[in-house]
Amino acid sequence: MLTIGTLANIKHILQKELFNSSGERLLSVVTVTKTFKKKDKRACYLCVLTTAPPVPVVTLCLVKQYEQRDSEYKRKRSWQLDEIKWIDGRNEQFETHEFDIQLEKLYKWYALNLHERQNFLAVLNRQIQKYVRGPRAEFRNVPQAWLSEKSPEKIAAGREGRAGNVTQKPTNSDDEEDEEEAQEFTALTDKEANELGKLFSECDFAIKDAEQFIEQLSKELHDLDGANMQSVLASEQKVLKMMEHIDNAITEADKFETRLDTYEDILGHVKETMEKIGGKNAMIEIANNNNIKLMKELNKVISQLDLPHSHQQALEDPDLKTAAGRKAAIAAAQCLQQAMNSDIDPALLRLEAVQDQRKRFEKWKQKFSTTVSRFLNNLFIHLGNEIGDMPLTTTELVLPNHSNVHRELTPYTELMHWSKAMDRKTYDGLMRVYTASLSKIYDRDIRNFFNLAKLQVSDKLRNSREDLDMSTSSRKSAVSTIPYGTLGINRDQWGPGVDSADRVRFDALLEKVLAELEPIALQEQLFCINFFQMDVISPTTKNTQTTLDMEKDKGVDMSQSFNASTASPTSASTDAGGVPQKRIDRQINEEVRKLMMGLFSCLEPELVSFIQSFERVDSFYSLYVLVRLTQHVMSAQDTHSFLSMTFASALVQVKRNFDRFMQQQLQSIKEAKLPKRSKAILPYVENFENFAQTAEGIFRKSDRRTDMEKWYLQLVNAIFEGISIHSQEHPKTPSQVVRMENYHHMYSLLAQLKVPGLDALKKEAKIRYNDALKAYVTQYFGRPLEKLNQFFEGVQQKVAQGVKETEISYQMAFSKQELRKVISQYPAREVKKGLENLYKKVEKHLCEEENLLQVVWHAMQEEFIAQYNYLEERIQKCYAGAMINLEFNIQDILAFFSDIARSH
Amino acid sequence: MREYKIVVLGSGGVGKSALTVQFVQCIFVEKYDPTIEDSYRKQVEVDGQQCMLEILDTAGTEQFTAMRDLYMKNGQGFVLVYSITAQSTFNDLQDLREQILRVKDTDDVPMVLVGNKCDLEEERVVGKDLGKSLANQFNCAFMETSAKAKVNVNDIFYDLVRQINKKSPEKKQKKPKKSLCVLL
Repeated sequence: MLTIGTLANIKHILQKELFNSSGERLLSVVTVTKTFKKKDKRACYLCVLTTAPPVPVVTLCLVKQYEQRDSEYKRKRSWQLDEIKWIDGRNEQFETHEFDIQLEKLYKWYALNLHERQNFLAVLNRQIQKYVRGPRAEFRNVPQAWLSEKSPEKIAAGREGRAGNVTQKPTNSDDEEDEEEAQEFTALTDKEANELGKLFSECDFAIKDAEQFIEQLSKELHDLDGANMQSVLASEQKVLKMMEHIDNAITEADKFETRLDTYEDILGHVKETMEKIGGKNAMIEIANNNNIKLMKELNKVISQLDLPHSHQQALEDPDLKTAAGRKAAIAAAQCLQQAMNSDIDPALLRLEAVQDQRKRFEKWKQKFSTTVSRFLNNLFIHLGNEIGDMPLTTTELVLPNHSNVHRELTPYTELMHWSKAMDRKTYDGLMRVYTASLSKIYDRDIRNFFNLAKLQVSDKLRNSREDLDMSTSSRKSAVSTIPYGTLGINRDQWGPGVDSADRVRFDALLEKVLAELEPIALQEQLFCINFFQMDVISPTTKNTQTTLDMEKDKGVDMSQSFNASTASPTSASTDAGGVPQKRIDRQINEEVRKLMMGLFSCLEPELVSFIQSFERVDSFYSLYVLVRLTQHVMSAQDTHSFLSMTFASALVQVKRNFDRFMQQQLQSIKEAKLPKRSKAILPYVENFENFAQTAEGIFRKSDRRTDMEKWYLQLVNAIFEGISIHSQEHPKTPSQVVRMENYHHMYSLLAQLKVPGLDALKKEAKIRYNDALKAYVTQYFGRPLEKLNQFFEGVQQKVAQGVKETEISYQMAFSKQELRKVISQYPAREVKKGLENLYKKVEKHLCEEENLLQVVWHAMQEEFIAQYNYLEERIQKCYAGAMINLEFNIQDILAFFSDIARSH
Repeated sequence: MREYKIVVLGSGGVGKSALTVQFVQCIFVEKYDPTIEDSYRKQVEVDGQQCMLEILDTAGTEQFTAMRDLYMKNGQGFVLVYSITAQSTFNDLQDLREQILRVKDTDDVPMVLVGNKCDLEEERVVGKDLGKSLANQFNCAFMETSAKAKVNVNDIFYDLVRQINKKSPEKKQKKPKKSLCVLL
C-alpha cells in the first residue's frame, strides 16, 4: 500500500519529469489499474493537469510507466474536461477502490490507493465545476462530502501547518492568499533558496532575536516602499518625457504628411500631364496614319491617273497606218481607258488635280477618238469604194466574198472596242458608216447575184420552151392565162409549163443561191460581232464610260452603273435563273440582226422576188421551193440569226403561195366544167395523175409530206364529189360509165401512189368503182330474156298468193304450153344476136384508155349466167318432170360471149 | 356572219397544231411536224350566233419569230399555248404577251392562256397554280387542255369568241327609225 508520501513522491516525479517541460501543472494524480483489461494489470497514473495562467486549461491525462525503461513516463492519452460525461464511484464507502469514467467510452479503473482516489475525485469535481461551461459531468456514488469539502491534502497541510514550525508561516500565509496556490506543493526555486539563504545569513542573529528581525524586516520594507515611491515618481518624469517625445513624433508625422500631400499633388499634375501627352501622342499617331493613308491614296490616284509620256504622244499624234503605230496607239488608248475608269473614291474626284487630269484625259480622248473616227471612217469609205470600183463577174452565179475587207479591218478591232467603251457616239457613227459603205457593196452584189439567177431561170425557160412553142403556138396564145397543171381544166388549155427536168434544174439553182448566201452572211455576221464587240452588252445611253465624272450627274451615273451591272454578261451569268442570260442572248441577237438587216437590206426582197420569178415559169414552183427552203430553215443551227429568219420569212411566203396554189387547184376541181367534146375520163381525174406524180416526186422524202398529204385528202375528196356531179351532166356517156371509169382511174392511181394518208380514199374509190360497174351492168345488160323473166315473176306472184310450186302448171296462164311458147321466143341464135348488139353498145360507151370493156363484158356474162341459172332452177322447181329446158345451155352462153369478144 | 381572226401562239412542240386540228377537224395528229403556217376556217355557233373562225396556226420554232409582229397586228384574239411538261415553254409566254400588248398598243387584248398536254400528268413540271397565277397576272382566261384526250379544246375558241364579242360588240346596223307621226 502506498502512502501519502509515495503519492506526493509520484506527484513530484511526474511534475518534474513530464509536465515541467510543457509548462503544465499537475493538480491531482491517482495510481490505477484498468479493471476492464484483464491482462494488463500494470499500474498507470490518471492525472488532472492545468496549463499555466492566465488562461488555465484543465485536462485529464493518462500516464504510463514503461517497464523496460523504468524511469520513463509517457503520456498515453488526454481528455478535455467537457469530454467527461459522467463519473461513477460505484459505492459511497470509503474502502471502494473502483471507479468508472465515461469518456468516448466507459473506462473502469481500480485505484490502488483510497486516498488518492478520494483526492482525485474531489479535485476533478472542483475543476469541472470551475471550468466546464454547459452540461457538466455527473458524479454518481461519490460521497457528497468529497464534492463540497476541501481536498484532503489541504486538510492534511493545514494540520501540518498548525503543528509545524514558525518558519513555514509566510509560506503558509502566501498559500492562503491564493487558495489554489496553497493547495500546491511548490519547491523553492534555486534563486529563492539563495535569497532565503542570504537573508538567513545576514540575519543569523534573528534566530536569536525575533523582534529585532521583525524590526529589521519592517525597516527594510519601509525602505523598499520608499524606493518604490521614488521609482514611481521617477517614472512619472520619464512618462512626461515620453509624452513630449510622442508629441514631437506627432508633429513630425504631421509635417511628413503635409509633405506627402505636396508630393501627391505634384504626382497628380504629372499624371494629368502624362495623360495629355498620351492623347497628343495618339492624335499624332492618327494623324501620321492618316498621312500615310493619304499618301498611299494619293500615290494610287497618281499612279492610276498617270499617263506615260510615250502614251500621251501616241494619243496626240497616233500613227494608225503602220502596225507598230497601231500597237502603240492601242496600248495608249487602253491605258487611257484604264486611267479614266480607275477606281477612285468619289470624294477624291472633287480634287482639282483629279478633275484637271480628267479634263486632260477628256481632251486626249476626244482628240484620239476624233482621229480614230476620221481614220476608220475614211478607211470604211475607201474600202467600200475600192470594191465598188471593181468590175463584177457577170457570168458565174457566185456571190463575191469580202473577207479581204475583214482582213483589212481586223487590226483595228481593238480601237473599235475602245471607242465603243469610250465614245459611244463615235462608235455608233462608225457603225453607221460601215453599214452604209458595206451595204452599198452587198446591195450591188446581191442584186447582181439575183439578177443572174433570174436570168438563168428565164434562160432555161426559153430553151425548154422553144420546141413547145413550135408545136402548140397556134393554140396556146389564146388560152395561156390558165396556169399550167390546173387540175380542173383540160390539159390542152393550160398555159406553158415546164417538165420535171426543168424543175430539177430550178431546184438546183435555188439550192445554189441559198448555199451561196449562207457563208457570205455568216462570215459578215461573225466579223461584225467581233469587230463591233456585239457579244458584250454595254449601256448605250451614256456616251462615255468613265468613273471620273463629277457628282453633278451622279444620279444618272448610279442608274447607269446599275444598268451596266445588270446587263453585263458577267453579272448575268452569276444570276441563278437562266432567264436573264436568255434575255441577254436575245438582246445581243436583236442587235446583231439589226446590223445585218442594215447590211443586207435588199436580201429579203430580192430573195422573195427571185422565188417569185419561178412562179411565172412554173406554177408548181411553190412545192419544191417549200421543200428546199424548209431544209435550210429547219436545219439551221443559229435559228435566231438574220439569215435564218430571213429564210424563214421567205418560207412563210412560199407556204402561203403553196396553200394558195392548192386552194386554186381545189377550186378548179369544184368549178370544172365539162367541155363539149369531152372524154369519159374527167379532166381533173386525168390531170391528177400528173399532178400527184409531180408532187410525190418532190415530197417523197421531204419533212413537209404532211403539208402535201393534207391537200391530197381535200383534193381527192373534191375529185370524188366532182365525179358524182359531173357523171350526171355528161352529154353522151351514161353516168354509170363515167363513174365507173373515173373511179377506176382514181383507184388504180391511188394504188400506184401508195400514199399512206390516202389508203382510206383508195378503198372508197374501189367501192365506188364496183358500185358503178354493177349499176352499169344492171342498167344496160338488163334482161335479155325479158318475157321469160316476166313469166316467172307471174309464177312467183302466184306462189306468194299461196299456190304450191308443184301446182303452178295447172294454172291457165302458167301452163306448160304457155311456158314452151315463151321459151320458143328465145332461140340460141336470137340470143347471140342480141348479145352482139349489146357488145357494140358497150363498146361505144366505154373509152379505150381505161380498157374496161373486157371487165364489163365479163361482168355481163356473169350476170347472164346468173339469170339463166335462176330461170333453170325455177323451171325445175315448178315444172319438174315436164322435160322443159331453155333452148341453149351454159356452154352455149360461154361460147357466145367469148365468140363475140374475140370477133371484135 | 361575223369573222373572228384567231392566232395560236407558243413555243415549238407545245401542241398548237394539235389543238387547232382537233378543234377544226376533230382529229388528233400524233405525229410532230413543225408547222410553218397553216390557216383554217371553221364555222361554229357560239351563244346562238353563227361565227366564222379564221384560225392561224403559227410556227413555234425560233426562226419564225420575225413573223410574229405581223400575226399580232392582224389577229383579234390570241391563244397562248404552253406545254405543262416543259417549263421553258411556260417561261416564253411572258415575252410573247408583252409583244402582243406592244403591237396592239393596249392592255386589253382578247387572250386565253392554255396549258396543253394535261393528259401527261406524270410528266407535268408546270403546276396548275402556276398557270393560274400567270393568267391572273395577264388578266386573261386560263385552261388546261389535252388535244389528245379532247379536254377543253372547244372551250378555248368559244371563250375567245366571247371575249372578242365583249370587247368589240358587232356593230349592228341600226334600223332606220320609222318616221313618227307628229301631231301638230
